[in-house]
Amino acid sequence: MAILDNYSPLKKKEAIFGWKLVSPTVILISLLILYPVFYNIYLSFFDVSLSLGENNKFVGFSNYINILKDITFWRSFGITLLFTFITVVGSILLGLGVALLMNKKFFGRTLVRSLLLLPYVTPLIAIVFSWKYVLLPIDGPLTKFLTLFGFSSGMDIINDPNNSFIVVSIFNIWRNFPFIYLMILSKLQSINDDYYEAAEIDGANSWQKFLHITLPELYFVIGSVALLRGIWNFYKFDEVYLMSKFANTLPIYIYEKAFTGIPQQGVAAAIATLLFLFMMSLIGIYVKKVLKW
Amino acid sequence: MVKRKSILKSILFYLAIFALVIFVVYPFIWMLSVSFRYDSDAFDPGVIPKRPTINAYMELLGLKESIRDELSNEEKQLLDLVKDLPEEQQKPILDKIYSQRKKESFPFLRFFLNSLLIAGLSSLISVIISIFGAYAFSRIKFPGRGTIQKSVLLVYLFGGTILAVPLYQIFVKIGMTGNGYKGLVSLFVIYLVQTLPVSLYMLGNYFRTIPETIEEAAIIDGSSRIGIITKIIIPLSLPAIITVFIYAFMIGWNEYLFASIFIRPYPQFYTLPIGLNEIFYSDHAIWTKMMAASVMTSIPVIILFMTMEKYLVGGLTAGGVKE
Repeated sequence: MAILDNYSPLKKKEAIFGWKLVSPTVILISLLILYPVFYNIYLSFFDVSLSLGENNKFVGFSNYINILKDITFWRSFGITLLFTFITVVGSILLGLGVALLMNKKFFGRTLVRSLLLLPYVTPLIAIVFSWKYVLLPIDGPLTKFLTLFGFSSGMDIINDPNNSFIVVSIFNIWRNFPFIYLMILSKLQSINDDYYEAAEIDGANSWQKFLHITLPELYFVIGSVALLRGIWNFYKFDEVYLMSKFANTLPIYIYEKAFTGIPQQGVAAAIATLLFLFMMSLIGIYVKKVLKW
Repeated sequence: MVKRKSILKSILFYLAIFALVIFVVYPFIWMLSVSFRYDSDAFDPGVIPKRPTINAYMELLGLKESIRDELSNEEKQLLDLVKDLPEEQQKPILDKIYSQRKKESFPFLRFFLNSLLIAGLSSLISVIISIFGAYAFSRIKFPGRGTIQKSVLLVYLFGGTILAVPLYQIFVKIGMTGNGYKGLVSLFVIYLVQTLPVSLYMLGNYFRTIPETIEEAAIIDGSSRIGIITKIIIPLSLPAIITVFIYAFMIGWNEYLFASIFIRPYPQFYTLPIGLNEIFYSDHAIWTKMMAASVMTSIPVIILFMTMEKYLVGGLTAGGVKE
């Protein structure tokens, strides 16, 4: 324990005790999260065999070369970027709007506030089924309603590859805006009223107050929420896959490559590695430029 | 003039609130409505069921036999005929009848109990481990603390998508696949690790709000660190601990990706998300039952959330993270 040499005996005892307390966490996270991330990179250079006893075959960069030549990969990549962009922007705009509404006192606010949490807290599988029901072709109540606006009632909106992407995006916005609204609301409530009063004396209207006081105050909350939602939505598997198998985002592509048909887990590992590297560099740039850490 | 403008404004305001509420609860209203109908009424127009019934719930809970579970007449006659046959001829016919019936069942209760077991156990252990970890992070100085804390945060950036292949390979290598029990244990370990960072982060933040002077007094009275954790920290932060438990519980209750990787071949061990999804794509996708199952899947979580809402909203914004 060389690091501890210049510690006093009492401090040393404390430090060792601290390590003991965190060791289960450290061991579990290292074994099951950090190690797999590196193992994933290792696997991406192999033709991974699925039967026990048969060794993986080293193939160098060929998994990567195959992917980069694969048009489906590039399409899924593009769809994933678009999905992430739409859902992050959409849910932030909606969350911000709702937070501004809920920041006012009105009759029934407590009830509305609990209802607003429902999309976020209800188990995914349950709301997936109700969305599928309301959007059923012909009989689905929402489909029937949409025919009033010129939709054809026979259209299977969810399972049509052309529309499923839109449905999945709207679904993601619907499910996740409460998280953003809560974060923004709690920041809104901490903004000092004096600022608004001072602005009023200077003759500012509501829009100017929003633009010059509220938005700058919210900058970091919105920035961090965008980062978190961006990361989560970029990796999002279950919400997309359970809703529609035709949305073709990259996580679904990885899943299908790795676990369905004739599994090519080496290829899947290579895609996951690329996804990971891309995400990491994006996060690095974002944290520097937008959050200015 | 000013008055009229403000009336118009408040009308617009309430309209916006109304639209928002409809937007949010629309799918839930249909979920409830359809779950209280007879199978044949599943597509009746109108939100309010014309012949309300709790049939679907009774069948899912096993309080009432589904028509599909009752032996068809044809099967009954077959059973009668089979009685007189020699044993070796009896067996294949009986097997066929049973496999047919098994295929027709909707084992909601089993899925429910599997989910309850695995989500409950993994979140319980996760919370216990994180109480100690979070305490060390917030109170004890030791070399490497900052690094460890940062790496735990970094773990948020690794989605399940990235980990699916390597984790599957690791569990195959160490022999943790091959039957349902092993699959369930694998899931337990994975859920435990996936919830750890969240739990640690939220509890750490909370522990820092507890004044240290209380602990100092206890130390002077001769209490050990472990004593402080069990006698002071845990009782004082019970709401936070329960909140974290609910989060962790929800992660296990919702998880689909790893469940589909590790237990898809073993229907006995299905958790709710995978079990219901498999049924949805089988012949048993009867809307009334799917909706009743959805309602019952949601109820435990919604009750937990609503009773804890006060703490949850605080915890959510303080911890900032759930997934």
